[in-house]
Amino acid sequence: MSEQATDILSSDEVDTLQEIMNIAFGQSASDLSEVIDTHVVLSIPFIEFVKVTELHTYIQQHVKEYSKISIVEQKYWGKFKGDALLIFASGAGRELILLLKNDEQGSLEAGSAEILESETLLEVGNILIGACVGKLAELLNDIVTYTPPMVLVEEDARNAVPANKFDPDQTAIILKTDFNFEQGGATGFLFLVTKNESVVWLKKALQLFLEQYE
Amino acid sequence: MIKKILIVDDSPIARKMLKSCLPKDREYEFHEAGNGLEGVNQYKELEPDITFMDLTMPVMTGYEAIEEIIKIDTKAMIIVVTADVQMSAIKTVLDSGAFMVLRKPIKKDQILGALDKAMDTKEKGAQV
Repeated sequence: MSEQATDILSSDEVDTLQEIMNIAFGQSASDLSEVIDTHVVLSIPFIEFVKVTELHTYIQQHVKEYSKISIVEQKYWGKFKGDALLIFASGAGRELILLLKNDEQGSLEAGSAEILESETLLEVGNILIGACVGKLAELLNDIVTYTPPMVLVEEDARNAVPANKFDPDQTAIILKTDFNFEQGGATGFLFLVTKNESVVWLKKALQLFLEQYE
Repeated sequence: MIKKILIVDDSPIARKMLKSCLPKDREYEFHEAGNGLEGVNQYKELEPDITFMDLTMPVMTGYEAIEEIIKIDTKAMIIVVTADVQMSAIKTVLDSGAFMVLRKPIKKDQILGALDKAMDTKEKGAQV
């Protein structure tokens, strides 16, 4: 299903993008850990190219161990543009509420459990996505703007990302990292789905980034 | 005297970036490892003057590799170069015996400052 990343980017460009993602995910973990006061454990970032028509199946394969998932989605655009999808395993919202409550006694007390869960996921999603995409853009000398984040809480994992969600003519660059929290059992992963119209710019930006280190 | 430098990072680009930041007017002997385990094995074999260590790596993480290296050599000069700049990560590696933590992306002046400080500390330690 997936194309070899090196069919679209050279192996040096893939390595560079992977290292930049590593830095960007590291920044987002650092920002979030300050808010929830627990260490965020990240996996090594993974890059893959997928036809957008197959993205629905691709994402389903990556969430197949969960029957329910929550998703925070935020679109971003600059020269680098796409969709950030932060996918949490079932129960993550409640775990995160407990972590946040340690720091913000009382401020999360009001409202129903569902609203609280939704707001918590939105807040955590906004921090993770903003720091990650923002750092990525900064390193590649771009400025991005974002739509407000949207959240789907405890959805059926098979239907949470509809097949017709993305433009079928595009190829998606999947930039994925798994994360979990040292305290509490919340786990999930972050996908950046970037349209192939960003590829020409991305190749040039990666080249410029590398030139600093020639 | 030529200084031996070991760079442990799973990303070949990150290793290249780090090497490019080291001053060109000094003589270094570079060695590279792609994960923590390779790093520990090369440390045993080479006894480098300075080791640059990433944290998030396959096979063996930098956290584990630092602990293993410090078991071999309590005076090992390990400079952690990482994207994981959470306070908990920094505290863990410093408690394990790392000399210093640098945040990715690295900059030439940062690397030069860290290298000089590490070399100086190592030389002072050797004189004691």
